[in-house]
Amino acid sequence: MKTLIIEMIEPKRLGELVTVSREFCEQPDMVAVGAGQIPGSFGKAYQVADTVAANLVSDLASLILKEGYEIVLLTASTLGSGIAAPLSVKLSAPVVSEVIGIKPDLVVERPLYGGKAVATYKLNKMPAILTIRRKYFEAADLQGFTDSSPLSIAEKKVALIAEKEEKTEGIPLEDAEVIVSGGRGIGAAENFTMLQDVADLLNGAVGASRGAVDEGWVQPTQQVGQTGKIVAPGVYFAIGISGASQHLAGIANAKCVVAINKDEEANIFKRARFGIVSDYKKIVPVLIETLKEEA
Amino acid sequence: MFGRNEAMRRSIRLKTGGYPMHIVVLAKVVPDYEVPAGDFELTNSRAHSRYKRMMGLYDENAIESGVQLKEKYSASLTIVSYGIKADIQVLRKAVAMGGEKLSLVLGGSDDPNVIAANLKMAVEKLEDVDLILAGQQSADMDRGIVHGMLAEMLGFAFIPQVAKIEQEDGQWKVIQNTESGSSELKFGGKAVLSITSVPENVPRIPVVRSIFAAKKKPVVQLPEIEGDAMPVDELSVDIPKMESVCEFLPTEDDPAETAKILLGRLREERLI
Repeated sequence: MKTLIIEMIEPKRLGELVTVSREFCEQPDMVAVGAGQIPGSFGKAYQVADTVAANLVSDLASLILKEGYEIVLLTASTLGSGIAAPLSVKLSAPVVSEVIGIKPDLVVERPLYGGKAVATYKLNKMPAILTIRRKYFEAADLQGFTDSSPLSIAEKKVALIAEKEEKTEGIPLEDAEVIVSGGRGIGAAENFTMLQDVADLLNGAVGASRGAVDEGWVQPTQQVGQTGKIVAPGVYFAIGISGASQHLAGIANAKCVVAINKDEEANIFKRARFGIVSDYKKIVPVLIETLKEEA
Repeated sequence: MFGRNEAMRRSIRLKTGGYPMHIVVLAKVVPDYEVPAGDFELTNSRAHSRYKRMMGLYDENAIESGVQLKEKYSASLTIVSYGIKADIQVLRKAVAMGGEKLSLVLGGSDDPNVIAANLKMAVEKLEDVDLILAGQQSADMDRGIVHGMLAEMLGFAFIPQVAKIEQEDGQWKVIQNTESGSSELKFGGKAVLSITSVPENVPRIPVVRSIFAAKKKPVVQLPEIEGDAMPVDELSVDIPKMESVCEFLPTEDDPAETAKILLGRLREERLI
């Protein structure tokens, strides 16, 4: 099936979409959004400098119709969600978002009810648009680079004034093998330094639940969960996190969850491999000391 | 001749000298999304009907954002929903937070195309809508696509993951959260914005006076129109098994010992 990937030039996101594309074709085509060389080998590659989803939809629709693409793949991301739904209306095409599984015969799976259920759908019409949830497909190793031709944008509905990168020291959350996350139970922004200490000693990254982000204690880029980052670390420390299903949806692929919570009834213990029922302020400082002694 | 609402908005324009602004917030009433995974049950492939119905998780952030815009720019604010008649009592909370009226399309479809077409019909009946806000995704189907579909159907721009909205030089300026930070975007036309949660839009708790006042505010109930369903068959909905068994580590005596046991177990399993 003729498949088109639409994605930023970010090797891991792109690699995951290439893996998914192999369920449908041998070599997909690609629309690269933003500047830079396109890693990997694609049949055809197009490139568009404008990164605002609202400006891309019309011209992407024209390209898809002209080239006869049957499957369109995007990451479930700010860019992907900005393109997928309007594009589906433009093309009268089905769209399935947050796909976590692909089966033969155009059958796909996606979570609903905050990850408490999984629905299976069959796509009945082409083209079909899929946004792929991160960390559910191994990223393909992208060899070499593909030359691109420019994709021009006819109408600029929305102007990009500025972009701000939240600088995180150390390993990005999505790539970390150890994540130390805090929730509302952490109590204050300054207490996250304790979590950072644990993360630093284990070569990991600091995450947070939606509650902690809503309190303004950490940046939204650190939010883990269904509507934040989807992560798949070896160890996920959930500290002062109750374990709402929306948070658990973001750590479904974590190998081991360590829960530290003073409420023994907290839902997080149902997902945890190891549980410590205690005030984190008693455990985390000694965890830091022990790690320092062992270093 | 103008209707009463139009006349009111024109008077606002005269009073403020600004653009007569009408904001719509889309709100969806969903089954209790706080039911823990272990207790979650399905009937007919949907959340069990015994779960209480409540406002969508992010929809409350969108309502709060809408109310703040209304207060800042003397706009009017309408809540639009698609759902069942019993949802009205839940949606009155949205009105109590600061909405002026509620427009509910009566229908029970889960199809995003059908829902978007019905929301379009309801918005078009309001005629002069400038800006539509919606939670970034519903708290039941979790698709995050209906608002983007609605935008395209209306010919509006669609901007997801919006954290902040303000007017500047007659245009809208928004901050959009991205995976790596944020983008500042500006546009002059009409748009649908999906709203994410940030500390600035934590939903207010309506005061008792507003709750009583909301009961008197107009509720327009619209019959559903037939929309084209999305060409996708739902084959099944299942509850995945959670197989994790938690091993509770001892904590009574010595936290340092607990820390050592934990690190030892993680090393045994080659996790750190």
